[in-house]
Amino acid sequence: MSELSFARIDETVLGTLAPPRRGYWALVGALCLGVLLGAGCWAYQIAVGIGVGGQNIPVAWGTYLINFVFWVGIAHSGTLISAILHLLRAGWRNPIARAAETMTVFAVCCAGLFPFIHLGRVWQVYYMLPYPNQRQLWPNFLSPLMFDVIAISTYLTVSALFWYTGLLPDLAAVRDRAEGFRRKVFRVLSLGWSGAHDQWLHYSRGYLFFAALATPLVISVHSVVSWDFALGIVPGWHTTIFAPYFVAGAIHSGLAMVLTLMIPLRRIFRYEAIITVDVLENVAKTMILTGLLVGLAYGTEYFIAWYSHNPVEWESFRWRAVGEYAYGLYFMVVCNVLLPLLFLVRAVRRSLAWLFGLSLVVNFGMWWERFVIIVGGVAHDFAPHAWGLYAPTVVEYGIMAGSFCLFFLLFVLFCKHLPSVSMTEMKETVAHGR
Amino acid sequence: MAAEPRVMGLFADDAKAARAIRELAAAGFTFRRAHGPIPSDRIREATAGRGSPVGWFTLAGGIFGFAFGFALAIFTTSQWNLIVSGKPVIALIPFFVVGFECTILFSVLGNVVGLLLCTRLPDFRGLETHDPRCSCDRFGVLASCPAGREGELLEFFRKKGAEVRVWP
Repeated sequence: MSELSFARIDETVLGTLAPPRRGYWALVGALCLGVLLGAGCWAYQIAVGIGVGGQNIPVAWGTYLINFVFWVGIAHSGTLISAILHLLRAGWRNPIARAAETMTVFAVCCAGLFPFIHLGRVWQVYYMLPYPNQRQLWPNFLSPLMFDVIAISTYLTVSALFWYTGLLPDLAAVRDRAEGFRRKVFRVLSLGWSGAHDQWLHYSRGYLFFAALATPLVISVHSVVSWDFALGIVPGWHTTIFAPYFVAGAIHSGLAMVLTLMIPLRRIFRYEAIITVDVLENVAKTMILTGLLVGLAYGTEYFIAWYSHNPVEWESFRWRAVGEYAYGLYFMVVCNVLLPLLFLVRAVRRSLAWLFGLSLVVNFGMWWERFVIIVGGVAHDFAPHAWGLYAPTVVEYGIMAGSFCLFFLLFVLFCKHLPSVSMTEMKETVAHGR
Repeated sequence: MAAEPRVMGLFADDAKAARAIRELAAAGFTFRRAHGPIPSDRIREATAGRGSPVGWFTLAGGIFGFAFGFALAIFTTSQWNLIVSGKPVIALIPFFVVGFECTILFSVLGNVVGLLLCTRLPDFRGLETHDPRCSCDRFGVLASCPAGREGELLEFFRKKGAEVRVWP
């Protein structure tokens, strides 16, 4: 970082906001088509009925819930990087904090869509809101599904406000160098921020509180998501390990997505001096830890199933390893636990190709982990005559592809229109020599 | 009565800016504001800034949120008085989850309200004496002086190693 100056940081980051070329708009167009495909599939499901999806008894929770948990998981590392590492004064998080926070906001948006899609009759979503009504019906907060409504909406609100607050000084920097209509837009967006000493005094204090509040929130949200399953009596779900298991998995998958997004971003925007290989290496080192935690959770689940002498529980886990979905279990163990151990080798941690490749592998493995947990539990529970299998339909694949396109579309639009690296935090890094 | 002339000294680093702030009063000038691209402890000490009250807003939001979350859960379940899985209708342990989430939500909302009130944002008038270099790599010190002493104030800043800008 020694070669960086305040002016060079501004020049590099603001340079990324130059008018995009045709290739960028072609990518935006392609992603828009993907979003339209997903929206079309959802519209078709609304018109025809939820039966166009593959969910049916006994597997009533399929890809919609898998993708919900997957996207909530992706959202978690953004808060880890922006809040927890901020409190720990880990300077290496500064170059990637903004993009990770943005990833969090967009991932929560994608996650939040899936319960609506899964509802089928989405126009009745207001049933979940507590308000006086003629039906005399109120949501029951004994249900973990209602915990989820509160937790996810809180997480979306907090992460969006945290993200915007962090952006304020950078929006002012863009405003000060913009001209014409763009200047007017950024003048409003920056709320007239001038970097006055009293503004910084309150801002620093407020940002610290944001970080302190977001830290327990991030732990609680995925714990609440895990209780959607753990509070049910389904074998394979009903376990107290789920909260830390889900939190570790969420951070693992989120860090993988950070690498997936940061490596192309670094290359396209020539961020090499800002997002150094050391920064990416630190993400990889953290993934070794989260991968081992996830591996510990996988092992503990099997140990408890065996040690409990509960035949239903043990059968459920035996079937996971040798049944129709056994490949999912092996995908998750290999992709999430074994292959990330390659990061123990320094040359792998510092190779962009390996980092990018392994990040994709972990993303793939973490999706399969959610498949194994969600589908595997209900497909093979207490009564053998009620066992059954599940396969997603074309409509579900379309909606899933649409959600991925939506996430990447929002991220691509963000990168070209707002500062994708926090200039303020980079300047603080340079000033304090961290 | 005519407004006092205002002059801004633009410094390359916050240490020089902080030194200038400390010496302004002794030279007979009035310190107005300091601007910079990052928060500076040196400038905060030089301006003898007091602590921020933002935390009180956060605390108030948190206390309200905790009470609101519990009250909401208790009220809604008592309106639909149905025993589920043998659990009590008013069950404090699951309601703690709702109370906790609302504590965080309202703490953050309180934090944002506190931040907006304390920083007086949105504040577009403050930009009248804002130099764009202060959001890049300069620390600006805005000071005023009695009419007729602008030259002395300009000289003061120049001696401290600053570029200067005069505001009408």
